[in-house]
Amino acid sequence: MDILIFGIWFAAYLVGAVRYILYLMHMFQQNSYKPSEYGEWMRVHTNVGRLLGKSLYAVISLPLVLIGNTGCMIAACVMNGMTIWVNKPHKAKKPLVYTPRVKRMLVTTGVLYLIAVTVVVLPGLCMTAGGGILLTSQGVLPMLKHPLFRNAELILLLLFMLQPFLILLANALNHPIEKRIDQYYISDAARILREMPNLKIIGVTGSYGKTSVKYYLSALLSTQYNVLHTPGNYNTTLGVVRTVRENMKPFHEIFICEMGAREVGDIREICDLVHPDYGIITSIGPQHLQSFHTIENIVSTKFELADAVPQSGKVFLNYDNEYIRMAKTNKNVVSYGVMSEDADFCAYDIAVSPRGSSFKIKDETGRAYEFHTKLVGAHNVQNIAGAIAVAHTLGIPMEKLLYPVKQLESVPHRLQLVRQGDRILLDDAYNSNKNGFKAALDTLASFKELRILLTPGMVELGEKQYDENKEVGVYAADKCDYAILVGKEQTKPIQDGLLEAGFPSNRMIPVDDLQEAFRMVNAIPGEKQKVILIENDLPDHYA
Amino acid sequence: MKIRVGVFFGGKSVEHEVSVISGLQAYNAFDQDKYELVPVYITKENELYTGEAVADIANYKNIPELLKKSTRVFLMGEKNGVKLIQYPEKKFGSSEVAQIDVAFPVVHGANVEDGSLQGFLRHYNIPFAGCDVMASAVTMDKYVMKTVLKDNDIPVLDCVTLYGKEYESTEQAACDRIEAKISYPVIVKPVNLGSSVGIKVAKDREELREALEYAFTFGPKVLVERAIMNLREINCAVLGDYEEAHASECEEPISSDEILSYEDKYVAGKKGGSEGMRTARRELPANLTPEKRDEIRKLAVKTFRVLDCNGVSRIDFMIDQDTDQVYVNEINPIPGSLAFYLWEALGKPYKELLDDMIKLALKREREEQSMLTSFDSNILQSANLSGAKGVKK
Repeated sequence: MDILIFGIWFAAYLVGAVRYILYLMHMFQQNSYKPSEYGEWMRVHTNVGRLLGKSLYAVISLPLVLIGNTGCMIAACVMNGMTIWVNKPHKAKKPLVYTPRVKRMLVTTGVLYLIAVTVVVLPGLCMTAGGGILLTSQGVLPMLKHPLFRNAELILLLLFMLQPFLILLANALNHPIEKRIDQYYISDAARILREMPNLKIIGVTGSYGKTSVKYYLSALLSTQYNVLHTPGNYNTTLGVVRTVRENMKPFHEIFICEMGAREVGDIREICDLVHPDYGIITSIGPQHLQSFHTIENIVSTKFELADAVPQSGKVFLNYDNEYIRMAKTNKNVVSYGVMSEDADFCAYDIAVSPRGSSFKIKDETGRAYEFHTKLVGAHNVQNIAGAIAVAHTLGIPMEKLLYPVKQLESVPHRLQLVRQGDRILLDDAYNSNKNGFKAALDTLASFKELRILLTPGMVELGEKQYDENKEVGVYAADKCDYAILVGKEQTKPIQDGLLEAGFPSNRMIPVDDLQEAFRMVNAIPGEKQKVILIENDLPDHYA
Repeated sequence: MKIRVGVFFGGKSVEHEVSVISGLQAYNAFDQDKYELVPVYITKENELYTGEAVADIANYKNIPELLKKSTRVFLMGEKNGVKLIQYPEKKFGSSEVAQIDVAFPVVHGANVEDGSLQGFLRHYNIPFAGCDVMASAVTMDKYVMKTVLKDNDIPVLDCVTLYGKEYESTEQAACDRIEAKISYPVIVKPVNLGSSVGIKVAKDREELREALEYAFTFGPKVLVERAIMNLREINCAVLGDYEEAHASECEEPISSDEILSYEDKYVAGKKGGSEGMRTARRELPANLTPEKRDEIRKLAVKTFRVLDCNGVSRIDFMIDQDTDQVYVNEINPIPGSLAFYLWEALGKPYKELLDDMIKLALKREREEQSMLTSFDSNILQSANLSGAKGVKK
């Protein structure tokens, strides 16, 4: 009987524990495998609650196992069943990717489990074995009885509760190995780059706009050169390494390297690997303030790119941005913008129509060229101006840039106009900031259709979390007809802002998740065509 | 890192041997500092072989022996490039023989040059030099080519086409139809063969029948057009793509017969025979008035662009000396010896010509990529947009 109950208990335990570990692993991955960010995440009170919820039935199991009679054990089995249920996997927007690193961490976690169980169970096992009972046929069963089972069960339950920390321990244990593996890949990428002495490397960084500028620049330069750019939002050292190792071809002439930063030194690390010939800083703003602490740190981190550019190279700076304009660099600067008349490449006479935008830019001789693009939003024009500045400086005549500019497509999820059946999505789903949010609202406001804002608000703003969200709430009040807010609790600041600015409360719809949000969009009545601005995506660890 | 270029030559074609010569010529002319070359010999059975042996022309005297010394391979497209994999594969260890970044087809004639090899390469997503599938196919079919050129006001001779089976059953009617449209002497040629193969002139119905029978041994469809008796032939190559294209020097092939025969074209030197087009008898530059030269070169570029050619193509013109009228006769999407001698005459070394062709291949590739680039989306994957499926609530 005992062995049967134990078997059932253990099988149920395994399923629940594996589900829980995979969830935690997923979260660890979403936090960029950074213990500090993962720790930060664990401290968010909604997440504390979530973790407690997931291990609640394991906690209840503890006294049951301690008592240990058959009734309690059956109850404990039921508890494990509950654990399985509360840990059922959710449909994730970015599911856990089973990278080799994740697999190695899972193995280490398993080994840690094994060691813990062995340490607890082994002495008892030895004692019983020492008594010679193991040798007799009827002795096997007593051996498997208390306290061995109970010890194993207790340690397993404790381990279950400690799993959030076990992940960190496994990560720490694997750290030296991971570092060596990373180092191997990094030096391999460095070797490939060394073997291509004629390759021109352009670093792109900025608090926002860097991904757009990267895509636009790649498109413009491709009219004349074979260009490789880091795909998607691969903007860490290892993302760059992977791009170089997997995608670099001998015929590439230009490598556009997006450089992201979450901490001081991040950009320098990438620059030390790729040694950029040119750099472009698209913008600086209070993003990732939680890890940077001060705006000065952000400025100096972005300018690590300028520092890395050689004297013979050039640094392209967005002069519309005050932080960038004020920062000092001793490198050759080429400036661009839409509001900065003193910039080397300034877009002016900007006109917006339902078909997109048009603007003018002068070349170094003062001759003006009129550009047309399908993209909307002033910041898009600014980003295109930056790409034009780089492409022209790298030798492409202005008149040859007219066509590729016209052909530019929206970067996905960056105020991307998507026609979907009878409605229009303004997909601005990637990591938002206040200025981007407002710009997107301006664009939304310019539509004559039924304007719907769909957003979870902005995250990771530290102490400005409430104020900035409320500010966009106020700003949004006269820019949209409906506001669907994802996360009833999280979007409180926006709700406050909207209501304060006189937005009708019956048109403000807080919901729990994205699925519900889209159901609400469908439920909004009326014949008018709908334009839905999807602002800021929802990383699963905040959803 | 050097750019790895796979030079493809040979293939199931009547011009197999010529292609081997042209292919190895190109193989040896590439700038070795810039390119790492992988020779790929396509047998007459369309099997692919690589290795050092296939790069040496001397080995082609005994092909079975050559194949024994070489490695049979197949192409394998992987995420990060196209690989040549040994076939049959090794039991242990890697069967990868080489990787190529750009394919460089130097093949002549139907079954290879007509878009077949181009389509095969396209399937592997590998950039390749020269005309794309459509241009290759259109230029290789003389009738389709004529109709496209005619539509663009480029002068071509009127023609009648005829299928072999159709001729077999309605011989008289077919001949009547030809005679009704075109007056003797006429010239008969298979619709899709280059290099003057299967071509005959006919001065009356008897000769017409003979010429048709002869042409049908080379292909199921033939074309009949007026034969220009006071004829000058002028060839001019074009290098570039739809956006920018330039004409080469003009040459005048010297015909030993009424038309430039296969022997004239490729076996002229007789002794060596392996020098390809280089030794074909010709006058280079052709003796033309500056105005005529200009007219022909402009017409060559226009033809090249109308047909959306890429890389190097050679356009062969006919001048009816009685009227001084110029006609486009045919287009070789992959001319013998890649017509490098026509560029050398303008001071452009072969090596540079090959370099330009690689650049054009990469340009076409990236233009295509920019059209097809699809970004991975995530928000619409998880969102259940029931409206998008047309489900009304």
